[in-house]
Amino acid sequence: HAALSRRYVLCEVVSEDPRCRQCIEDRALGLAVRDAIARVHGDYGLACCSISFTVKYLNAYTGTVLLRCRKDSYRLLCSSLPFVRYLESRAQRYPCFLNTLHVGGTIRTCQKFLIQYNTTQLLRLLQNCTNEEERQCIQKSLLSCSLTEEQSQSGDEEEDDGTE
Amino acid sequence: QNILTVCFSVGYSAVALNHVIDFKEKKQEIIKPVSPSELFPSLPIVQGTSKRIKVLTRLTLVVSDPSHCNLLRSTSANIRLYDIIAVFPKTEKLFHIACTTLDVDLVCINVTEKLPFYFRRPPVNMAIDRGIYFELLYTPAIKDSTMRRYTISNAISLMQICKGKNIVISSAAERPLELRGPYDVANLGLLFGLPEGEAKAAVSTNCRAAMLHGETRKSACGIVYTVKKPRRVEEEETTVPACKKAKTQA
Repeated sequence: HAALSRRYVLCEVVSEDPRCRQCIEDRALGLAVRDAIARVHGDYGLACCSISFTVKYLNAYTGTVLLRCRKDSYRLLCSSLPFVRYLESRAQRYPCFLNTLHVGGTIRTCQKFLIQYNTTQLLRLLQNCTNEEERQCIQKSLLSCSLTEEQSQSGDEEEDDGTE
Repeated sequence: QNILTVCFSVGYSAVALNHVIDFKEKKQEIIKPVSPSELFPSLPIVQGTSKRIKVLTRLTLVVSDPSHCNLLRSTSANIRLYDIIAVFPKTEKLFHIACTTLDVDLVCINVTEKLPFYFRRPPVNMAIDRGIYFELLYTPAIKDSTMRRYTISNAISLMQICKGKNIVISSAAERPLELRGPYDVANLGLLFGLPEGEAKAAVSTNCRAAMLHGETRKSACGIVYTVKKPRRVEEEETTVPACKKAKTQA
């Protein structure tokens, strides 16, 4: 069981073009990451990392991505993530970059981190709120963030209206 | 300005805006630095703390001739206005001078072409003792494959001499999307041959120390700077201050 240890890498997609978020889907992202690994670490790196590599979770609204890889090759993966420069989907390229947030051994630790991170992000959005309605929406989301037994993803509760 | 917005959202707590002076061109004068408060009327708050983000000004002198260094020795008023001074030596002699005698905070290491000289241990050790940091850029490595090779070879040859101490990694981002977050830059440090502890320091404590070195230079003699140590319980990526350099947009 220990031999199959995995690492889960949590990142967020940062881009200037709002349409980039729409093309966050597992195939496009997986290809972009694999391409970056191949460019930086060559065939050996790509082969090592591909063993147990998948995109586990995506949230197109917040741009959050959870990747999984084997524990032996997570350094290869993490060191290639800065080299992702764009996402490609439907023959369109959207420049972006990946910001690594957290590396954990289980999905649960990444989830806990994500809840905490989203809470601070919501707080920042709260500070930049321009009208009362948005303020109340965000406050409501903040108060309802928690880790429940059904593994509900707190990322879904974030409001992504024009305050970005 | 966009670059800075991205910096802040990604978790940096201090940014330095770089102004480059290349002496190969004629009539270079050191102008007063643009005051950050003119560019940003209100600075956002660092993620996770309640302090405002610091924006510093920085000057980089590209020197290819010993006469260019005279500018540093002169007590030009404008030089003192910059928070951080960096020098980019182009020859071995100048590298030696920069490490041993020049009053700078950072020595830039070329990452875009093969080094014309090899590093030697004596000047590097002297620089480390004097509190001068060596700077590596990462944006060229992200953009282009050839640059990547030069960056990695130059970085590794530097590491062999200095054992990874006193390294600062910065971007020379001209566009917001050329930036990378602090955790990622520390991972890049691993690629450059830094040991893991030093890689994290290259983004956080070393930058802070370079900033303080700049402050001591501004005041007449050394200063003692007391700082509340951040609680170790919190994650390093969000609380330890990091320093980034970005070129101002024309």
